[in-house]
Amino acid sequence: MATPKDYPRLQDEALVKAAQRGDMLAFEELLARHRDKIFARAFSMMRNENEALDLSQEAWVKGWQRLKQFQGESSFATWMTRIVINLCLDQLRKQKRQRAESIEELEEESGGVERQMPVVAVNPTEGMERAELRQRIDKALGQLSYEHRTVLILHEFEDLEYKEIAKRMQCSIGTVMSRLFYARRKMAVLLAGYKREELDQ
Amino acid sequence: MKHEEQLKLQAYLDGELSGRETRAVEELVARDAAAQNLLAELRFTKTALAGNEPEIKLPESREFYWSKIEREIQRLETVPATRGTNWFTWWWRRYWIPFSGFAVMMALLLGTVNQYLFRSPVLEEIDNPSEETGAFTFRSDKERMTVVWLYDRTEETASDLEDLEEDPVK
Repeated sequence: MATPKDYPRLQDEALVKAAQRGDMLAFEELLARHRDKIFARAFSMMRNENEALDLSQEAWVKGWQRLKQFQGESSFATWMTRIVINLCLDQLRKQKRQRAESIEELEEESGGVERQMPVVAVNPTEGMERAELRQRIDKALGQLSYEHRTVLILHEFEDLEYKEIAKRMQCSIGTVMSRLFYARRKMAVLLAGYKREELDQ
Repeated sequence: MKHEEQLKLQAYLDGELSGRETRAVEELVARDAAAQNLLAELRFTKTALAGNEPEIKLPESREFYWSKIEREIQRLETVPATRGTNWFTWWWRRYWIPFSGFAVMMALLLGTVNQYLFRSPVLEEIDNPSEETGAFTFRSDKERMTVVWLYDRTEETASDLEDLEEDPVK
């Protein structure tokens, strides 16, 4: 039987089984492996470090409480990511209810600005270093509305289908398609804008 | 291009269309330059994002981060024991106390109703003689008064007793 000393060498599956038997050291090892990913997902959705910290911690606590329900149908990291996404979506819904809907939001939802945008003809990411591209993507994500950002994250980074995104975001598939379309269009314009700024300098 | 066609283009890119719809979009792209350009733009974004999720590191040490989570787990795991006691108190307050109060009220109500409506008939005069002592009891509910009249039976004459039997009020 593995001792805590062996935990860094064990696979996630073995650690999950140990944690399911109540071994908190095994769970801590899982946290050490996936803490950045879970925090990053919370941060990408919330765009606020403190909220991301709180929600990612809450996700780990929930993960421990529900660990016995984890059947291994997906990887442990994917399962934990789903937990933190659901917590973030709940939090974003609460925030949306709290603030009054502005005209800009309504326009954004229906593509008020994006509808007028010309198509970006040149690949704005061509010849860019990966680290630089990631930085620009992060900056652009921060400029999207939370509805557009969330749908983009769930589709592009979590590989969820339209139907699954609609279920999680509690909206219709048509809304998901529309939000994704405008999110992509805005993203293209933002990335192209950063490239233009760079060329101008 | 209609918005519906734009969304179909995107769904085509994401592999969300059926075979027939896919062929329809391919025909649209083949004949429409605007559709080609839009599809190219959507593809740029999709390709740029694929595998390029921003790398964000947790801004706290593993030990500090875990200590907060561990503390919260332990705090929540002690809650059920406390909740057990609270649950009983809650149940006691929620059901037992109101039920007891109701039962007491019902008992008082029944007692009152019984006193006024279902009272057993009371004789106004009760003859309760013993061997040597005789007694007459008179009770008046109206006056809220009971009178017990005791007398020595040895002095009674047979005729008196006969008279009393005929007219107990005498």
